[in-house]
Amino acid sequence: MNLNLNYCASLVAASVLFTATPSYAGNVPESDDTIKIMTGDWTSIGLQGEMMQLILQTVGYNAELVVADDSGRYPGFENGDLHISMETWQTTQLQNLEKSVATGKVLDMGETGLAGVEDWWYPSYMKDRCPGLPNWEALKGCAEVFATADTAPKGRYIGGPVSWGDHDERMVAALDLPFEVIHPGTDAAMFAEMKSAYEREAPIVMWVWQPHWLTSVYDGEYVQFPKFEVDCFDDAAWGPNSADTYDCGKPYGWIKKMAWAGGEDVWPCAYEIVRNYNMDNDTLAALLKKVDLEGMSSTDVATEWLMANDDKWKEWASCAM
Amino acid sequence: MKFRSDVVLLEPMRLLLWAFFFTFVFFVINIGPDWMSSFPEALIFPVAEKVGSGLNWFARDAKIAGVPMQEITRSVASFFDLIIDATVVVLSKGIFTGRGLNVSQLVPPLSWMSIGGCLAIVSYRFGGRNLIVITSIAVLFLVLFGLWQNAMVTLASVLVSVLLAMAIGLALGIWSFKSQNVENVTRGVMNVMQTVPIFSYLVPTLLLFGYGPSAALVATVIYALPPMVHNTVLALKSVPTETTECGVMIGCRPRQLLWQVQLPVALGRLAVGMNQTIMMTLNMVIIASMIGAGGLGFNVLQALRKLDIGSGLEAGMGIVALAIILDRISQAAAQRAANGKHLEPGQRPLWQLLVVWLIFSSVIAFIFTPMQTWPDAWEISTASFWNAAVTWVNMNLFDILEGARNFALLEIMRPFNRFLQSAPWSLVVASVVALAFYLGGFKLAVYCALLMFFILLTGYWAPAMASVYLITISVLMAVMIGYPIGFWLSSQPQLKDTANFILDTMQTLPTLVYLLPAVMLFRIGDVSAVIAVILYALAPAVRYAMVGMSQVSPALLEAAQISGCTRWQTLKWIRFPAALPTLLIGVNQTIMMAFSMLIIAALVGTKDLGQEVLIALNRSLVGEGLVAGFCVACLALISDGLLKAAASKAEVSTIRKMNS
Amino acid sequence: MSKNSIENERPVISCLNVWKVFGANATDFEKEKLDNLNENTLTAKKWTAAVCDVSFDIGRGEVFVIMGLSGSGKSTMVRCMSRLIEPTSGDVNIEGENLLSVSDEKLIEIRRQKMGMVFQHFALLPNRDVLGNVAFPLQVQGISRKEREVRASEMISLVGLEGRENFFPAELSGGQQQRVGIARSLASNPSIWFLDEPFSALDPLIRSDLQDELLRLQAQLNKTIVFITHDLDEAIKIADRIAIMDQGRIVQIGTPEDLIMRPANEYVARFTKGVPKSKVVKVSTIMKPVAGNHAKTSSFLNINDRVADVADILTKTQEAIGVRNDGGDIVGVVDRETFIRILAGADIK
Repeated sequence: MNLNLNYCASLVAASVLFTATPSYAGNVPESDDTIKIMTGDWTSIGLQGEMMQLILQTVGYNAELVVADDSGRYPGFENGDLHISMETWQTTQLQNLEKSVATGKVLDMGETGLAGVEDWWYPSYMKDRCPGLPNWEALKGCAEVFATADTAPKGRYIGGPVSWGDHDERMVAALDLPFEVIHPGTDAAMFAEMKSAYEREAPIVMWVWQPHWLTSVYDGEYVQFPKFEVDCFDDAAWGPNSADTYDCGKPYGWIKKMAWAGGEDVWPCAYEIVRNYNMDNDTLAALLKKVDLEGMSSTDVATEWLMANDDKWKEWASCAM
Repeated sequence: MKFRSDVVLLEPMRLLLWAFFFTFVFFVINIGPDWMSSFPEALIFPVAEKVGSGLNWFARDAKIAGVPMQEITRSVASFFDLIIDATVVVLSKGIFTGRGLNVSQLVPPLSWMSIGGCLAIVSYRFGGRNLIVITSIAVLFLVLFGLWQNAMVTLASVLVSVLLAMAIGLALGIWSFKSQNVENVTRGVMNVMQTVPIFSYLVPTLLLFGYGPSAALVATVIYALPPMVHNTVLALKSVPTETTECGVMIGCRPRQLLWQVQLPVALGRLAVGMNQTIMMTLNMVIIASMIGAGGLGFNVLQALRKLDIGSGLEAGMGIVALAIILDRISQAAAQRAANGKHLEPGQRPLWQLLVVWLIFSSVIAFIFTPMQTWPDAWEISTASFWNAAVTWVNMNLFDILEGARNFALLEIMRPFNRFLQSAPWSLVVASVVALAFYLGGFKLAVYCALLMFFILLTGYWAPAMASVYLITISVLMAVMIGYPIGFWLSSQPQLKDTANFILDTMQTLPTLVYLLPAVMLFRIGDVSAVIAVILYALAPAVRYAMVGMSQVSPALLEAAQISGCTRWQTLKWIRFPAALPTLLIGVNQTIMMAFSMLIIAALVGTKDLGQEVLIALNRSLVGEGLVAGFCVACLALISDGLLKAAASKAEVSTIRKMNS
Repeated sequence: MSKNSIENERPVISCLNVWKVFGANATDFEKEKLDNLNENTLTAKKWTAAVCDVSFDIGRGEVFVIMGLSGSGKSTMVRCMSRLIEPTSGDVNIEGENLLSVSDEKLIEIRRQKMGMVFQHFALLPNRDVLGNVAFPLQVQGISRKEREVRASEMISLVGLEGRENFFPAELSGGQQQRVGIARSLASNPSIWFLDEPFSALDPLIRSDLQDELLRLQAQLNKTIVFITHDLDEAIKIADRIAIMDQGRIVQIGTPEDLIMRPANEYVARFTKGVPKSKVVKVSTIMKPVAGNHAKTSSFLNINDRVADVADILTKTQEAIGVRNDGGDIVGVVDRETFIRILAGADIK
């Protein structure tokens, strides 16, 4: 369903600006069927989804945002319930995406240009208390600094939400880190504990991903693990622990767009626009901050950016012009 | 004392049973084979997969009379989408033309002034001055805090859900009232529906109805239906026999009898069902917004995701405000309809007033736009205050709380959990069956045994035990805190309204709102989860304690006074025994509430059935979600069975004591 | 009133061997031969009989009171007569029609046209005002709003509630509520009027008022009345005939005088012992018949007068008193001694 509620001000203004837009190519939209764009429980996918929705609507398509879960989206895409996703992260969704593309029902729509980072992260003040950081081997020596009564003598590491499918336990075992992985049920819980610790300057190390507003508000950095290579996951001999896989940091990598294969014939121009869409980390981080911290609605942020970058989106949408 | 003889007769039999039981315990612990301690893997049946593929087939490939199931469910979904969209257009969105960036508003939605005024007029007509004050405060809260537009989106879906749940609930209730067989079936189904967590049927719902408000609607209706059905049956049964006979003697046909005699007379009791349906629907607002219903629930989620606890609290209070408006107005309307009332001289029919107001206020709103949409600049917010308060507590009290947390976790919770996890399954089953037999007899024992074997055979024994541990600790705490408060409140009649308001708030304020501060102070893990469950389950505990205490007959209390009982003696000998059955039902309700919170608690990070359901939800594992959900239902049904049996036993023994 | 009609006319209500048995498989009842049925078979089958083998006829215009203590089966009996409760066995004839074999449709028709009923706890609909309640039976029949409200208003003034048409039940006293109940039961002008303990829930004074009201209405409307009560005084006050029920059986049927002067058994005798005979016994019962207009007395009584009502005539005269029938013919004399014995509550012979 459409979550845009603060239409009034921004969109009425928008309509004034765009009343003079040229008439679009006669064959767009090819179909009045609604294009369903996935949005998820993190801000950036919502914002980028909103942008794509606005562009598609402006050139004449029916488009709406539909909430779906990150890992749970695949049946929807294979089914044709969901049509477009603006974000698929290599870091966690690589295997899922490959598997889904292999069914022939889902399309890889290319990279967004954004680079996803996910790894162990700590506030800067921890550097003094655990000398040697950001090198990962420092963690071996100062687990007790990160320990709580219930994990002692092991350190407490807050991993991702239990359903997000990371491999922290395997990593802790492979690198022989004296840490216990604690999984929250939702990302909000992770950040609540993080906020609490940060306010008190208490020890904490946790999983953080980027692009995310957290890294622009809280001062901190990532632990430097042995840099990820594909062999790390497949070849035990690779890396510091020659007897185990997963003895490396998490993969840093692309964020891709994906789509329902059946839509290619229904809305070819829309699919081209999605393929053309690109974004960079800094721009997106600035936009995310407006939404997450300054309290603007993502509709307003998306509208504002599109109006300011008229040439960009019109180029993406050249097939509709 | 005339019962003495039965007891004596039963004694040898009972001794024998206990002897057998303890021999068994000894046997399992000392010399029993391995399979008695840990359930053999080979016997675990992969139900989840079967259920999952079955449901997938049903949703995707099944056909009814040649029409694919999916087509049927999707057309149902688009029908309801249409209704919800239409309501949203009227209440919140208005009519637009153009698309994307070219959008422009043709017709605005009803202004806050129009809707708020209508609510006020209706409140005054139905409930007089008191009600109009309550409604106005709630409306102004939503407007001033900038929650109005989202509140109207929520209102649209809530209205459709409530009406649908009431219509279906009424129909099922009437059907059950007319046929004992139907009643037996619906009661069973409703009991399960009430205890299976919502998250576990979300995925099947999404599969059948697609993502969007319809799926949220269906899930909400399933959740809010049972109290309506239950109360419809009770309400119809409460119609005096004479009234029904009078209708028959007048020559009513069955339909006339139902609609013109029985339902109007039952209306007062039906209002209880309406109240619960409304409250439960609003409970679902957060979860509904997770699967695409938008509105205030989305505000809460968004605020909490950026750790703006104050804004989350405000949005949450917006949900409470909606709940209070809907509940109080519908209660007043039901009371008025049940007792009948004419217009006073000079009063105009309600619809005329509303039409006049709508026209008048729309004109005003058109001229003076703040009456249409409250300007952002005029909004007020207390969010920063709450955020600062949370920070202050965090900075100053964390160490004390951490100490308490560590004590609770390490000295109480972990050992208890470990004890439950390591207890041999055969022993647990035997103890529960023995208890069931003692409390309720053979039938109950078999019933409990079957439910426990479902959990064992589906392979969810370990997470189920973890749930039992969480529930036990939470309920014990909720009862230990809630009952004394309830006892105290029952002796303070002047606080009744305030208490009811706070209890309503606790039950409708989204749990997430207090879940995150709990996490900040008590970290991710079981302690925060337990605290959230306690807070939620506290309300029924307090309520039942209040009801239980006020149920003691005044004559008994006077008798106690005349006999010179002290206050404490009165409490111990008169009030407590008389209230005991109600108090036990209260424990039962508290447990049910706690079970319904398991999933929310899993959001903080627990390792129980709730987590299994949550994972299944996030990974779209249809079968696993449902089966784990049914395991939760099994646990809930076992405790429900045991406690109801205990309550009726207590009732009998109280009566016996009073007779002797 | 019109007791002769019982012999002359077909009875309006006729019950024959009516049984109502509760318990598992009570439908098997028909299979048991009636002669075999006794307390033992009932106990063996774990049945309880609320109504046992009840038979009686009620004539047109008769006020027939069924009296018994609680649990005697009187309420069940009146419900069997309208098929609110399905009798297990037996026949119920209403104006010559076998009520137990009519179709559902016909049954609704009979109830609408021929029967009215008043309930102990009034059974008013709280959501309708007085007018709405009284007009309800007509509304159910599909009569137009205007017509039914005219008729209902008539009924409301008949029971003396004019001016309160727009009150709701909760705004009325108990006595007023039962007047509404009475008006409603009369709205469709039924010929048979069932009253199930109509005044039991009321204060004694109001009860007495409403009893008088009932007699007044009956004098005007001349319905066939079945009146259920547990109050013997009430029964005596209004009844033409009384049936006394005990444990589901009818112990005796007769006029109030019959019950007092000739109780069928110890149970009835004990029941009626406390009733002042003078208030029940009629002059006809205690007079000595005389042939022709030969009595030489100066004062006269009517044959239907009750002894207590004519007590002051006794004080004004020393001699025997003459008795005339309705035609004015002298039919007997009452001597003072008998008169005084009755007034004092003693037996006659």
